[in-house]
Amino acid sequence: MRTALILLFLLAVASVPGSVIPQQGIDPAAVAQYYTAHPTLAPILARLSLFSVFGAPWFAAIYLLLFVSLAGCVLPRTFRLAGSARQLPPRAPRNLSRLPMSASYRTSLTPAEAVGSAAGLLSGKRFRLRNGDGWVAAEKGYLREAGNLLFHIALLALLGSVGIGGIFGYKADRLLVAGQSFANTPTALDQFRPGRLVTPGDLQPFTVTLDKFTAHYITSGTLRGQPSSFDASVSYTDRPGAPARGFLLRVNHPLSVDGVRVYLIGHGYAPVFRITDGAGRVVFDSPVPFIPVEQTGLTSEGVIKVPDADPDQLGFAGVFLPTAVDVNGRLQSAFPAALLPRVSLVSYAGNLGLNSGPSQSVYQLDLAHLRRLPVAPRPLAPGQSIKLPDHAGTLTFTGYRQWASLAITYDPGQVPALISGIVAIAGLLLSFAVRRRRVFVRAHAGPDGGTVVDIGGLARSDAAGGFETEFAALAAEIMASHGGRQPAGMAAARPPDEGGSENASHDDDPGYDDDPSDNYLSAPADNESALGHDEGE
Amino acid sequence: MPINTGLAQVSEHLLLSTVIIYALAMLAYACDFAFGGVRAPASAPARAPELVGAVAGKAGALPAGGPAIRLRDGADAGSPAATFASAAAPRPGFWVRSALVLTAVGLVAQIAGILTRGLSEHRVPWGNMYEFVTAITCMAVIVLLAVSLRYKAYYIGLFVLIPVVFALGLALTVIYTPAGALVPALQSYWIAIHVTAMIVATGLYIVGAVTTVMYLLADRHERRIAAGQPSRTAGIMLHLPKPQILDRLSYRTILFAFPVWTFGIMAGAIWADQAWGRYWGWDPKETWSFITWVVYAGFLHARATAGWRGRRAAYIQIAGFCCLMFNLIGINLWVTGLHSYAGLS
Repeated sequence: MRTALILLFLLAVASVPGSVIPQQGIDPAAVAQYYTAHPTLAPILARLSLFSVFGAPWFAAIYLLLFVSLAGCVLPRTFRLAGSARQLPPRAPRNLSRLPMSASYRTSLTPAEAVGSAAGLLSGKRFRLRNGDGWVAAEKGYLREAGNLLFHIALLALLGSVGIGGIFGYKADRLLVAGQSFANTPTALDQFRPGRLVTPGDLQPFTVTLDKFTAHYITSGTLRGQPSSFDASVSYTDRPGAPARGFLLRVNHPLSVDGVRVYLIGHGYAPVFRITDGAGRVVFDSPVPFIPVEQTGLTSEGVIKVPDADPDQLGFAGVFLPTAVDVNGRLQSAFPAALLPRVSLVSYAGNLGLNSGPSQSVYQLDLAHLRRLPVAPRPLAPGQSIKLPDHAGTLTFTGYRQWASLAITYDPGQVPALISGIVAIAGLLLSFAVRRRRVFVRAHAGPDGGTVVDIGGLARSDAAGGFETEFAALAAEIMASHGGRQPAGMAAARPPDEGGSENASHDDDPGYDDDPSDNYLSAPADNESALGHDEGE
Repeated sequence: MPINTGLAQVSEHLLLSTVIIYALAMLAYACDFAFGGVRAPASAPARAPELVGAVAGKAGALPAGGPAIRLRDGADAGSPAATFASAAAPRPGFWVRSALVLTAVGLVAQIAGILTRGLSEHRVPWGNMYEFVTAITCMAVIVLLAVSLRYKAYYIGLFVLIPVVFALGLALTVIYTPAGALVPALQSYWIAIHVTAMIVATGLYIVGAVTTVMYLLADRHERRIAAGQPSRTAGIMLHLPKPQILDRLSYRTILFAFPVWTFGIMAGAIWADQAWGRYWGWDPKETWSFITWVVYAGFLHARATAGWRGRRAAYIQIAGFCCLMFNLIGINLWVTGLHSYAGLS
């Protein structure tokens, strides 16, 4: 248990840097920013995998060790619990008044009758019994350990489910401009992160078309500009040739198709450009997705690459402002909806470098072989054009469309993880709510011919408390069934019997016993000092 | 639907009144410490270990005529009241009764404030940090009243209300956010499940943390007295129960809080799966909720392990509470993630 706990703590500590240092898998832009801000520190952090903590080998090492340690802790306990299914309660201690709770009374029954009837009563309450000469020991609450084990086994299953998802599942992203569609194949996906055992053939062959994307924003008040709803109407087919069906994809309302789920995770604008080259041919006419760089006005940046232009290839880098306003001579976007859309572009001509070197991002221009064209920067309204100098061509901003980015995920570990979670909580509640308790009854012949019955009680794990009430009720019931009576002053009349106490400890319970009275049973001589905090202190 | 600004205003006034009433309740609790009864002085004769009294007689549901129950001193058992009441004040005095009434009135005002806020916004009113802090302080006071009445543990009132008044005051001034609609990411019925669970658990954790700090102070006091050293907290300790009782009270609140917190994390995971396409993604908020969970799990294990009970376990619980607070404050204000809904900029 100690090793598992240390590893669990280690896992918690190890995940701290992942929440403080930007993570590649969560926010790649922030990582890039970190590299520029801390040029010397960043490579060191990268070497220690601190930009991808949750995929780091040392992180994996901790949770795999935790998995093994937890298994090594839980499995033997499970066998022991199974083995103890028929184990008897410990023998009754000789002096029951030394137990945390006790009661005593006299009855006219013989000791054997008294013990027998008490045993019957306890048995009826589903206590497990052990009979001896003049005593009966009863124990109840084994479900506590069962719940505890269930919880830990469910945690193991949860870890396993996460593993299954990582091995057999996949995640992908796809940006779709309204009107476009895509098929679920690795080449059609912008980013495809398959699990270790996923092949392209495993992808479910559905297609999705983004018919229309609508965003609504709050138009007044302090929350002006905050989005109030995003609606993406899509049509999809389960497999090639199947009839298309419509779906309204929203945040918190994913599309399920063929076991895969499609989520709406982002949106933006794609201004549409028509470009004619020096020869007068239309060499470009399509929407270009621009990426938002801020959320309050959705100012977006993007680039246009025109490799087919003659005589030189053309490139443009620009900003799209949905609602352009002039703030002290600088254009800004004041609102995320396209109320007054403007595009501002910088024009380049030369070689885009698409045919050589490493593959380029579609959102960046390689300026190495491009020269900036002397065009006065002027924001374009829809329908307006820039005429490029030297008869290099013309660019027209014809309008804009919206795009939505979709996340496609397939995770076969999801349902097992959910079941594990539910079982874990059930186990937790069981182990917290049930207490393991023992009741002992002893009867012996009294000095005046009657029978003295002693009842002792002990809650092995009574974190939630309340056993005293249950014990009192039990004792009263047993006494009533005996027709017992309590002699006056009886409660105070019995001096504690020092030294005569039988060590009844069978403390083989590996669970978490919350009650110090366990110490009492295993070390009777030490009980007062162990408990401490006497009033007279 | 548009925001009902008039109702939002009412909510604000109600919550402002709440702070004032809680402050008065705090004062009444303090007056009880100053002028009310004290715990049996240390020089009183030791309680007879044999006899605590017939429990059967106290608890109404029990059959009459049962045998007298002897409790060995220090046994972890007993009707809640018998176990947790500060020994000298089994019945609340004037100041405690005033404090309880004030707390209850404040709570009613606070619940009304939260309700009107929700009605003005046409949604569950836990969409930003202001609303969340308002809700967790409300939960902490509910726990305070429940514990006070059920366990007759009136002595925790002052200590719980101090952070509550402080946090609610901050909520209404520094982190105040005007009423408004939810961003699309929060528009889901899961907000009612996930965030409510987190609020309930946090309220319980607050009371747990307060009582565990009280336990540490009381324990330190007792050890100093036992060692014959002077204790500066002697005055206040006269009004507190034995450290062991505070420890148990704290443990009990965590026992309630932990499964709720576990459930809250899992509900959050299900919601994350609905909204973002994965049930766990190591978002900073998720990471810290996990860290908090681990530390409290460590506390529960420590509390059940011989040699770790008492002070060491209490320190672990306080560490867990620090993680909880860092997740609430630090992650909301300094770290950007998918859970950046604090509404502060």
